[in-house]
Amino acid sequence: MIDRSDAPAAAQAPLTVLVADDSRVMRAMIIRTLRLAGIPLGAVHEAADGEAGLGILASEPVTLALVDINMPRLSGLDMLARLGRPTARGPRVIVVSSDGSDARAAQVMEMGHGFLHKPFAPEDLRDAVLRALDAPDHDR
Amino acid sequence: MPATRTNGERIVGVGAMCVSNTGERLVAHALGSCLGVAVFDPVARVGGLLHVPLPASTDDRERSRGRPLEYVDTGVPALFRDCYRLGASKARLRVAVAGGASAGDATADGFQIGKRNLIMLRKLLWKNGILIHAHDVGGTRVWRTLSLDLATGRVWLRTPDREGEL
Repeated sequence: MIDRSDAPAAAQAPLTVLVADDSRVMRAMIIRTLRLAGIPLGAVHEAADGEAGLGILASEPVTLALVDINMPRLSGLDMLARLGRPTARGPRVIVVSSDGSDARAAQVMEMGHGFLHKPFAPEDLRDAVLRALDAPDHDR
Repeated sequence: MPATRTNGERIVGVGAMCVSNTGERLVAHALGSCLGVAVFDPVARVGGLLHVPLPASTDDRERSRGRPLEYVDTGVPALFRDCYRLGASKARLRVAVAGGASAGDATADGFQIGKRNLIMLRKLLWKNGILIHAHDVGGTRVWRTLSLDLATGRVWLRTPDREGEL
């Protein structure tokens, strides 16, 4: 598979980011990758469960959310279901999950979100974020 | 084995690297489990290509002492260091990687050299805060040729099935 990225992210306005994952290590890896990729970051919020993630989405102007599925209290999918269908003003969402089945990926994409299977290489995450940021609103 | 010049190209053999700012074309042929690591700084117009066959110098300290370019953990730092000496900047260097194929199934490829090469490279780059710009890696019994045009910074890949910019 040929994979490449021209990383045009630097031209974008700083992103307000939510990283929702019950693994502190995974949250740190995601945030480090975003920084290394040159993606302009504003505030970066972390949540260790779906309830906390939902609270941040309700109170902060999040523009990019990276959301694990299997989290305590409220799963990532339930959290996103409560958020409703993506809108032009809502955050771009990438679901990051160790459940890499086609059915799961299709379910997530049907919800209008991006999907990335764990474990992933840092470049895979960077490319998924750039794709999500580049996607026109009607493709979300 | 040093890099050799043929038809305006500099061929980078196994366990060799070439770093230059003279606008030539560097080529690593027939990458199987070996990695070809190409780096280029578009501002300094400095780049290099490493053709490295083995993952860890610690697997054979005696042998590796005089052959740092044969191991990912010593060859890749040498590649970056030589680029820095010619004026490249870490923040600007773009990294492209090809190779790391498997020789076959678990029986045929017990040592999993290609996979281990990739793991070692990823560990090194992650530790040093560097992401790969473009890659074509893995697979089974895939032979790749990677070339870096130092005049433009463009990286090209050729396999038995296809050829194009990476």
